[in-house]
Amino acid sequence: MDLSPFDDDNSVSCRLVSEIPEVCKTEDCCLGIDEAGRGPVLGPMVYGICFCPLSRKEELKDLKVADSKTLTEAERENLFEKLDEAKSYVGWALQILSPNTISTCMLRRTKYNLNALSHNTAIDLVQYALDSGVQLKEIYVDTVGPADKYEHKLSQRFPGIQVTVRPKADSLFPVVSAASICAKVARDRVVKGWNFTEDLGEVDTDYGSGYPNDPKTKAWLLKYLDPVFGYPQFVRFSWSTAQTLMDSKAVNVHWDDDEEDGEKAAQRQSNKSMLSYFSVSAGGNDQNATHQAHRFFTERRLKSLNTL
Amino acid sequence: MATKKKRTSNVDNDSWVVIAPGGTEITHFLLFSFFFLNPADAASLYMLGCGDVMLYEVKAFEDDFHSWFVGQAVQRDGRLIFVTPLDPLFLILPYLIKSGKEEKFQRVDQVVKDEEFPACSRLLSCARTLASLHHIAEEKEVESQMYHRYSQEKTMNWLKKKVERTVIALKKKNVSVGEGVKSSTYVRVKSETDNQEEDFIRYSHGLISEYITEDLSKALLTHLGLPELTSPKETEPPSKKRKLSDKPVEAGEDYTKFNSADFARKPPKKMTAAQKSLAKVDKTGMKPMSSFFSPKVKAEKK
Repeated sequence: MDLSPFDDDNSVSCRLVSEIPEVCKTEDCCLGIDEAGRGPVLGPMVYGICFCPLSRKEELKDLKVADSKTLTEAERENLFEKLDEAKSYVGWALQILSPNTISTCMLRRTKYNLNALSHNTAIDLVQYALDSGVQLKEIYVDTVGPADKYEHKLSQRFPGIQVTVRPKADSLFPVVSAASICAKVARDRVVKGWNFTEDLGEVDTDYGSGYPNDPKTKAWLLKYLDPVFGYPQFVRFSWSTAQTLMDSKAVNVHWDDDEEDGEKAAQRQSNKSMLSYFSVSAGGNDQNATHQAHRFFTERRLKSLNTL
Repeated sequence: MATKKKRTSNVDNDSWVVIAPGGTEITHFLLFSFFFLNPADAASLYMLGCGDVMLYEVKAFEDDFHSWFVGQAVQRDGRLIFVTPLDPLFLILPYLIKSGKEEKFQRVDQVVKDEEFPACSRLLSCARTLASLHHIAEEKEVESQMYHRYSQEKTMNWLKKKVERTVIALKKKNVSVGEGVKSSTYVRVKSETDNQEEDFIRYSHGLISEYITEDLSKALLTHLGLPELTSPKETEPPSKKRKLSDKPVEAGEDYTKFNSADFARKPPKKMTAAQKSLAKVDKTGMKPMSSFFSPKVKAEKK
């Protein structure tokens, strides 16, 4: 697995692919989808697909690919080697969603939540397989959100393909286990060798699992909190763990789509109360009270200054 | 409920982001209030530069949610300050008008005097100030001493020229002067034809009025041959027919505040049986419906 395309620029989303086995272009295939690194506040989320001809489904089982969570890191690396050796009939593709991509998607003006991001990444990978000529007939997916809705969405998107969405699919279907191993291995390697674009000097890489409840991760987050910029791009800013720390320890930053209280916002924008339109125009004598600048200036937000 | 973010005012700035004409060397700051009619307005800031020969006005672009990255520092006020040349006659004019009431010819250095803003006498050293005084005053030379008396007629003609020149500048810069346009960056494909010239003159008059007293502004309007507009009073609901005005075009009412979190709707007095039973339900620990649609609430700092 060559991770250099991602290491070159780890601020964006990156796709890594194996060669497409010739047999997959002629025979009917099944495909498994799984992800790694959904929960951590650190590092990327990796989506993986794995595909092989339906006829050789059982051979995957013989490789003893199992649910990646039950395996140690060494075992996973080992199994990935085996998958790589089986490249005559097994193909894979990965989408590495950098933490920066996740942050910017979730925190943008029109929110793009993690489930939607996950679904779309999965769909893109399946489309990639189809575009590469893989004869897909069956898809197996570990669920994200309600299984039946996700299944419906995928079936509609890929008519003619049998879609099966199940929780714990990675322990039920070998092809999903294989996808899960690819994704997990890629994530482990990326996190281990994370290339910090920020100038942090000697970075303390002892950040633990990266999951929000890991004390090591929390300590690391506290240590690398910059009052102005927050965190390196390695951190998912959209995670509440990161947000809570930034809210309490970093400088307050106001964005123009921050929620503001109705009354306050109205006051700030000098909006008038509805009632003022109904009251008899008693207050006609306050006309000279304030000088209203010409609209040339107000439209351009230009103000006179009386002090520097 | 949405959290309230405290906006602290921008204090202790030790630097500014300024756009100024090349070679500007500011020699003096002038604090000056020439809207005598309006004491509520604080004095505005002007600058003298290049050895007092140039007068500049100072304007700041100020909008919410802006900050600067300057070199390796953050400046929290996102202000952009513009220093632009200003005709010193505008600042001298109020002094001349004041002394003009005596209808005597006087020396300008005795006219342009102000206890509150003593720096104003420096205006007379501005380039061409003395040479251009004839635009707004009658001149008399006695024993090689120049004496001046304010002339409304001359001033009106001078201001009219200013308005005309501003119209040319507005047209050149494609400034939208008509009604119903809010965005200054909005470019109309078709030029408006009806009343366009008058729109330009009124807009230009409004701009010039920023630099003269209200009385002069009204006199100038008559001098330009334009009837005064009867704009609807602010407390009255806007009439259906749109009228020309210099006021910024804005929505009169804000309906969006009713969407806010703390806009509490009073429960209706008469409820149906179903509503009554619903009202009795224990709602402790339940989130309001609206919370599911708002972004995550940030914890309050401090």
